[in-house]
Amino acid sequence: MNVAVCVKQIPDPAAPPALDPGTKNLVRDGKLILDDSDAYGVEMALQLAEAAGGGEVTLVSMAPNGETSGLRTALAMGAAKAILVSDPALAGCDALGTAKVLAAALKRAEPDLILAATESSDGYTGTTPVQVAELMGLPSVTFAKKVSTEGGTVKVERQTEAGYDEVVSPLPAVVTVTAGVVEPRYPSFKGIMAAKSKPVETLTVADLGLDAASVGSAGARQEITNVAEAEARAAGEIVVDEGEGHLKVIEFLEQLKVI
Amino acid sequence: MFEWSEEQLMVQEAMRRFIEAEVVPNIDDLEHNGVPPFDIIRKMYATFGMDQMARDRFKKQLERKISGQEESAEERAERAGDGGAAAMTLIPIIELCRYCPGIVTSMGVSVGLAAGTIMKQGTPAQMERWGLDLLTAEKVGSWAITEPNSGSDALGGMTTTARRDGDGYILNGNKTWITNGPYADTIVLYAKLDDGSDTPIRNRQVLTFILEKGMEGLEQSKPFRKMGLNSSPTGELFLTDVRVGPEHLLGETEDERSGSGRDSAKGNFVTERAGLAAMSLGLIEQCLQLSIQYAKDRVLWGTPIGDFQLIQLKLAKMEVARLNVQNLVFRHIEMSAAGKSLSLAEASAMKLYSAQAASEVAMEAVQLMGGNGYTADYRVEQLARDAKVYQIYAGTDEIQITHIAKDLLRR
Ligand SMILES: Cc1cc2nc3c(=O)[nH]c(=O)nc-3n(C[C@H](O)[C@H](O)[C@H](O)COP(=O)(O)OP(=O)(O)OC[C@H]3O[C@@H](n4cnc5c(N)ncnc54)[C@H](O)[C@@H]3O)c2cc1C
Ligand SMILES: Cc1cc2nc3c(=O)[nH]c(=O)nc-3n(C[C@H](O)[C@H](O)[C@H](O)COP(=O)(O)OP(=O)(O)OC[C@H]3O[C@@H](n4cnc5c(N)ncnc54)[C@H](O)[C@@H]3O)c2cc1C
Repeated sequence: MNVAVCVKQIPDPAAPPALDPGTKNLVRDGKLILDDSDAYGVEMALQLAEAAGGGEVTLVSMAPNGETSGLRTALAMGAAKAILVSDPALAGCDALGTAKVLAAALKRAEPDLILAATESSDGYTGTTPVQVAELMGLPSVTFAKKVSTEGGTVKVERQTEAGYDEVVSPLPAVVTVTAGVVEPRYPSFKGIMAAKSKPVETLTVADLGLDAASVGSAGARQEITNVAEAEARAAGEIVVDEGEGHLKVIEFLEQLKVI
Repeated sequence: MFEWSEEQLMVQEAMRRFIEAEVVPNIDDLEHNGVPPFDIIRKMYATFGMDQMARDRFKKQLERKISGQEESAEERAERAGDGGAAAMTLIPIIELCRYCPGIVTSMGVSVGLAAGTIMKQGTPAQMERWGLDLLTAEKVGSWAITEPNSGSDALGGMTTTARRDGDGYILNGNKTWITNGPYADTIVLYAKLDDGSDTPIRNRQVLTFILEKGMEGLEQSKPFRKMGLNSSPTGELFLTDVRVGPEHLLGETEDERSGSGRDSAKGNFVTERAGLAAMSLGLIEQCLQLSIQYAKDRVLWGTPIGDFQLIQLKLAKMEVARLNVQNLVFRHIEMSAAGKSLSLAEASAMKLYSAQAASEVAMEAVQLMGGNGYTADYRVEQLARDAKVYQIYAGTDEIQITHIAKDLLRR
């Protein structure tokens, strides 16, 4: 079974983020890393391919400047190859534009199953994967906490507020996985050494046969009009425990109506 | 090379993730509660496929040993890659030494010294019986040369003896300061041949034996209480009429053409000393990083202490040490990639400088943090105690100096 995983490469969250004052977009000039959220998708894909007794895991990513650092991490974990779409025309792309690009790239991989994260760590609109499914005319199942495949179907336990739903869908399908569903493996040293020579196909908007006007800032229907500083967190209240500290805590929680 | 490659950075990042998850939460157990480091080492080997890599390498080494062929230049280059092999070994060492030089000591002695000696001079049967399990970290190894009355004078002053007995030997003596000694499954042990002749004991032939835990007459002590390096158990070995068959004599021959015990010991000095520079680098990097943060955070007289020139001097000196030690490590990686080895004097110079730099940097990090630096919570206290041993084991500073000087004066 061939599984394609959408992986987003993002600026290192540990480094201080910067916004472009003009476009108000996140500056993505430096090295990009594999979004932690997508490490779960990669792990799930590797496990599903192994469980199915074979098949390849292909990564699909859209990122500026031909960036492959994050892809190499996922290749070192065991993915076989990657498709990267990188093109100056994609600057200012919104989630729908991204979905168009990813859908076109995913078609080339001819996957039996497409995995993505529920939401990315930096943009977190959580809208891209479902748009990909819609554009590809595929069923989509979101918030998966458990995924298995059998014959031509995928079985998903879908996280809900009350518990989970069991969903069965025909393949191919798009499934988004939540963080923590599987424990992403460490890349082995051998895997890291092998990652360097695994194929990464780099494509432009034209290569995908997409109209440049439909993607990037030209095609964006979303514009960031203002960015405001988040309110500074107010100092907390310190309760000195003189034997009845727990009552104060209960009182506080009752005020919040959480108990 | 002047910086790590993208690939090497990936190894570094993966190691850091592993250390955060597996070492940092257990550091108090390792450093204060006597928990030995072997489970963590095994987990690291399994996690990164180092055990499988060791098995693959073992197979090739064994084939070479059986066919009697030297490693070809081509094979060596392939193994080394672009500094690949050396870097892949050194990066975990560097990263672990940011937190726990003891783990590295235990690992280095077991995999590097004990297994390394068996692989170099052992027969194919000895490699299979004792080498492989050490290389994969499944078993724990010790490398025993030091004795109560022979430290720096290890080979000359050695008095542990091996007396011929039938086709085997009877061993008697006492070894001390033996890393992993309390837990070792397999012990590579050096002893003087007692052939009944009147050759003074200083000049007698040194033989190397492979001993196993549980042998009759072999006693392994409890771990010592040390100043630092507490995550690495160190102890004594007592040998009272330990009888071994000829298969326990390394190389299964007393013939020195296949490598003498003295050469075997000295060959390891180079490996040990070069590895110590990498150990120093990790420790220095960590102390520097913690010191910079502290200098920014700690405010006195209304200003971060990093504004004081005497604090700046400490940071600057730490950075100079870091750069110098890093350059030594990079040079070593480059040399291995080119198939060249360090001379004993070069390795000694590398060790002398790195060990002193690590000790100094760690002590200055304690000083920079004042009272906090003196507590376990701020981590540099442990690193300062650990760094001190760098100047003692694998040859003291004074011994490195004599080796460097001897080489210079011979020119
Ligand atoms: C104003 C603006 C400017 C932008 N400029 C650029 C640019 O210059 N260059 C550029 O390449 N992108 C650009 N983007 C695209 C952006 O990086 C996101 O890919 C896109 O908006 C998806 O948004 P999200 O992060 O909310 O994804 P979500 O919908 O939260 O993501 C869910 C999951 O979808 C998948 N996914 C999302 N995005 C990608 C991706 N890019 N590649 C692979 N998988 C993905 C991942 O699995 C992800 O976890 C820009 C976006 C905005 C809003
Ligand atoms: C934590 C730890 C782990 C160890 N692990 C092992 C191990 O696994 N296997 C093993 O075999 N050994 C091991 N050792 C032993 C170590 O190699 C010795 O401690 C070291 O060689 C020094 O010997 P010594 O302690 O007997 O000191 P000594 O040799 O007694 O030295 C005392 C002092 O005299 C100085 N000195 C000695 N000779 C001269 C000289 N010619 N000129 C000037 N000064 C001199 C020394 O530098 C030192 O300052 C370990 C030691 C430690 C502390």
